[in-house]
Amino acid sequence: MIEKLKKTRFTPRLALRLVIAIALLVYLTWRVVQVTASEAVFGPDTWLRFLISGLVIGGMYALIAIGYTLVYGILFMINFAHGEVMMLGTFAGYFMLEAFSTIPGPGNQEVNFLNAQPIIALILTFIVGAGVAALVGYLLEKIAYRPLRGAPRLIPLISAIGASIFLQNAAQLLFGPQRRQYSNPDLLWRGTGWMIPVGDKTVMLTYTGVFSFVLSILLMIGLFVLVKKTKLGKSMRAVAENKQAAALMGIDVDSVISKTFLISGALAGAAGVMWGIHNGLFNHYVGFIPGIKAFTAAVLGGIGNIPGAMLGGMVLGLMESLGPALLGLDFQIKDVIAFTILILVLIFRPSGLLGEALTEEKI
Amino acid sequence: MNESLKRGLRLGLIFGIVFIFFMLIGFTNVAATMIGDILGNVDQASVNPQLPVLNLITFTGLMGFFTGIAAYKKDANPSWVQVLIVGLIAGLAAALLVVGFILLIGSLNAQGVDFRTYLPNLGANEIQYLIFYTTPLAAAQRYILFIILFSIIGSLIVKLFSPGSPVNIALNSLKKNTINKLDVETLKSALKNRFVLIGLLVVVAVLMYFLPFVWGSYWNYIMGTVAIYILLGLGLNIIVGYSGQLVLGYVAFFAIGAYTFALLTAPQPHAIEMNLWLAMLIAVLVSTIAGLLIGLPILNLRGDYLAIVTLGFGEIVRILIRSDLLTALTNGPKGVTNVGQPFWRGQLFTDTNYMHLLMLLVLAGLFVAKRLKDSRTGRAWISIREDQTVAQATGVNTFRYKILALLLGAAFAGLAGALFASRNQFTGPEDFTLMVSVNVLCVVIVGGMGSLPGVVLGAFVLKGLPELLRELSDYRLFAFGALLVVMMIVRPNGLWPVSRPKFIKAPPEDCQDEPVEVKV
Repeated sequence: MIEKLKKTRFTPRLALRLVIAIALLVYLTWRVVQVTASEAVFGPDTWLRFLISGLVIGGMYALIAIGYTLVYGILFMINFAHGEVMMLGTFAGYFMLEAFSTIPGPGNQEVNFLNAQPIIALILTFIVGAGVAALVGYLLEKIAYRPLRGAPRLIPLISAIGASIFLQNAAQLLFGPQRRQYSNPDLLWRGTGWMIPVGDKTVMLTYTGVFSFVLSILLMIGLFVLVKKTKLGKSMRAVAENKQAAALMGIDVDSVISKTFLISGALAGAAGVMWGIHNGLFNHYVGFIPGIKAFTAAVLGGIGNIPGAMLGGMVLGLMESLGPALLGLDFQIKDVIAFTILILVLIFRPSGLLGEALTEEKI
Repeated sequence: MNESLKRGLRLGLIFGIVFIFFMLIGFTNVAATMIGDILGNVDQASVNPQLPVLNLITFTGLMGFFTGIAAYKKDANPSWVQVLIVGLIAGLAAALLVVGFILLIGSLNAQGVDFRTYLPNLGANEIQYLIFYTTPLAAAQRYILFIILFSIIGSLIVKLFSPGSPVNIALNSLKKNTINKLDVETLKSALKNRFVLIGLLVVVAVLMYFLPFVWGSYWNYIMGTVAIYILLGLGLNIIVGYSGQLVLGYVAFFAIGAYTFALLTAPQPHAIEMNLWLAMLIAVLVSTIAGLLIGLPILNLRGDYLAIVTLGFGEIVRILIRSDLLTALTNGPKGVTNVGQPFWRGQLFTDTNYMHLLMLLVLAGLFVAKRLKDSRTGRAWISIREDQTVAQATGVNTFRYKILALLLGAAFAGLAGALFASRNQFTGPEDFTLMVSVNVLCVVIVGGMGSLPGVVLGAFVLKGLPELLRELSDYRLFAFGALLVVMMIVRPNGLWPVSRPKFIKAPPEDCQDEPVEVKV
């Protein structure tokens, strides 16, 4: 360690980084001490509330971030339109729930299908939401990215930005710009949940929050098994390692890439439906900010690294909900915190929390 | 044959889906109205209800026509009968999809289903229009007829003009004759003549001086926006086009320039009311410094990371401007009003004066960008863009040149921001969304990365053209997105690509084909 330090040349840039890092550390410790110990602005119930919302949103970020990481691991490109894929998943889920709430349930004509068979309705909703998003991701790759494979790296990125604008505005033109509200089954009604007593106050643990968190964890486990245990996962890892060698080993690279987009789209779609069920209101902008945040999460965890994306999503969700309170800032600044984290991570540890050092070609 | 049939079928299906999509987003009706404008039957619907239907039929025919054109495979050189069959197949495929959709919505509408809650463009009136105010079945027949008919016509017309056909041969001989008469060489050498060139420049300058008087204030406003976007495009072109660094938060520098200028000159909230030109200079300086501060830590990141980090930076600036945290400094979401106005001979600037100022600055900007490009610095940038590792290996200080590019780009944006705030007399946080960055990026890319005429052309196409096509303003961003993707696939070098100087090895003069006599 000391040997390494001695070898490091002391450049002005390094000095700048050090100064920034030390200043930040000092400020952060001071704030944490101030907020938690010296004047205790928030009680423990508020902190618990922040923690819960951070974990729920973190789970969704993690699901979207996995999509970024899978695609980046294989193609070394940021799928900028990934947030829009999620948005279309949200819309698909919304239409499914609307349809279920208009058709009558089996047997009992009084109750609609959504409340008569909530489990089946929800499963179908998630399948359709994820399916539509997967299809969009697949078509996106086929139309906007595949013709550009092998082009300079700026070109697919610009194409991805174009696709993102296109999808967002297409959704606006198709479905209108107004905000819509998810119609959940009564079982999962927003604003209902378990009450947890903390001191002399209670904190609500919403059903939708628990549902989203558990489902996102399950999906992540499923993905992990898929990547580690199945033949498709093996070929995905092989293609990520080296496309040419993989092709020589008899792997159909194009089909693996298509399947990667299908999987990442499906995860984003599921996250989109969760977003709708948990937050209720949405419109065609719903995918943009989560998309950028999820990218931040992917970078935070180490891009190309699947456990990293999961960890990054959770950490980002927590930082976003706890950060403003910790730093004593306004909650308007929430998004600024996420972007600042992104910038700081890229400056100080571009390989992310769990990522290994990337070669020149992959950065 | 089999392959061209497949191609016809595929393209027919694609066009069918596109047509249905157009109907869903309401573009069909808008396009039909525009066709009505062109054909001259405006607002005649109350007089003669058949007229709007005629417009829709024209649009349908056009879609069929394009289907036929696209389905024709150029390199296969098919026979006339094959062309006919391919056109028919493509038209049929497209028509079947469209007809299926029309029958569906037509019959559902007849049963009283209201789509508007979910698909706002499919109200009862719009559906009535789409089925030509008749029954769905009758409308379906027309759709089939017109799409297939025009698809076949489209295919046949391409065949008619394809190489080898009599029309093509006739056209070619005509072209040869006229071009011989015009004598391209004389024209070219005339352009090289200094006096002719100066004469042309004088004509252009006189035109540029008098045009703003003739145009009126509406056109001055639009052309002013175009000019501001040219300035922005020139700046981003230095960063993206020359040095190859994708910066998505360019709007941050624009915002910083605009706000610096506005806060220094407006009576509210600070009441500094500084001299305009000094404030403009300070605005440029401040955004340059912002460029330095943001560039120093992040510019050694590459490509995609840089894009996202700068995007985040742009959003941070916007969120901070409108946050409560900085309201005391920036006036928050309300924005800054009564931004300072320049004076000319003791009078406030009119729109004509602004136009002249903007034109002068655009010319100066073009000059600076051109000189930069041809300088040693410009060559260093281009070497970084082409291959950073090689550039570094050949002794280019890549970091310093990238910072320089960012600084110059930020300076352009600061100037544009100051002008923007001054001309609008207002600046607010919502002027500086991510879409501004994307628009400027589009200007650079559509014109051709690194190409100066391309930037001017791009600004006119992306900022001027949408003003002309006001009816289509809802579809502008939608078309931008599609345009970006299509440009990247079809023409990644832009509309006016740069012609890069090529290294040509001159043949040695003294050892051409003649044998060299060797004296012993």
